[in-house]
Amino acid sequence: MSARRADPVRDRKVLTRRLGSAEAWRDTKAGMWAWLLQRIAAVGLLAVIVLHLKNPFMRPVQAALLALVLLHGLLGVRTILLDFGLPARWHRLLFLLALLAGAATFAAFWRWRWY
Amino acid sequence: MVLNVFRWSPGARERLQKYWVKARQGMTVLDALVELQRGTDPTLAFRYACRVGMCGSCGMVINGRERWACRTLLSRLSRGPVTVRPLYHFPLIRDLVVDMAPLKRKMLEMKAVFVPGRRATENDGFAQVGSRTRERRAIDASIECIGCGMCVSACTMVSHDARFPGPAALNRVFNLQRDSRDGAHADRSKAVLAEDVLTRCHGQANCTAVCPMEISPADSILALRRRAVLRLFGIGPR
Repeated sequence: MSARRADPVRDRKVLTRRLGSAEAWRDTKAGMWAWLLQRIAAVGLLAVIVLHLKNPFMRPVQAALLALVLLHGLLGVRTILLDFGLPARWHRLLFLLALLAGAATFAAFWRWRWY
Repeated sequence: MVLNVFRWSPGARERLQKYWVKARQGMTVLDALVELQRGTDPTLAFRYACRVGMCGSCGMVINGRERWACRTLLSRLSRGPVTVRPLYHFPLIRDLVVDMAPLKRKMLEMKAVFVPGRRATENDGFAQVGSRTRERRAIDASIECIGCGMCVSACTMVSHDARFPGPAALNRVFNLQRDSRDGAHADRSKAVLAEDVLTRCHGQANCTAVCPMEISPADSILALRRRAVLRLFGIGPR
């Protein structure tokens, strides 16, 4: 089988942001952080749920589970609100509100011992 | 002031070349590049035209952010060396010059071209959209695109999915879908419902953050999505 012939247009060099370079992260915007945090929280949740099911009474795992659920869920609410028509220029404010609401809910819930 | 400028030409290895420029009051990044080209290094390639922030030709990635070089004052940038790179996600021609042809190609693929409908050909070819109409207000915020490509460079999804049309093309699609003079709404509706189009946008709004014309392609994409969802239930316009 012969090798593909070089295409002078398709084979041209195209730069992309490299994950490993500090330069690529230098001006990461709030919307990107919000998106990234939500995904990281989702992956974290998978691990924490497994630990929680093994032993539901470990306080650090409970704390991690609550924090990750709040983070993931509230950032999801932010996305839904934008999807439903809130202007995109509000997205930074919504990100901040999601973080603040998450922190406040975590603090309130964590102080309330139900057992 | 130190400028680290991206250098590359076909067949050569990419590198950041360090230049020293005497920064003067009111000096922009474009001024610095022009001074370098006229003095230190005539081989340095970059693109510009109007020099006053109208044409969008001098779009570059300056200190990690897409900006037009002619409107970026050196004094406004953070201290330390200034890094200048070409726009991401476009084929490189040389140094800071990229080929903008993919921008046009994506627009054509998305049928983001005005097709005169019946209303456009009435009254001897003139059909007006009044400045105070709801239709005009809906597109006013997104109509001023100058095709600089900065939104495409800032979009993370463009680099992951070659079939994703990118913010500029989708913003244009939104304009046309809201234009009552256009006669290709149905065709374009089908195009935007393809797998790698509207659903691919992750709503990071990087496009909106960098647009020099303060357009919000993110809003346009979200609006197209809402229209697509309504259409699924048979209650929305095309």
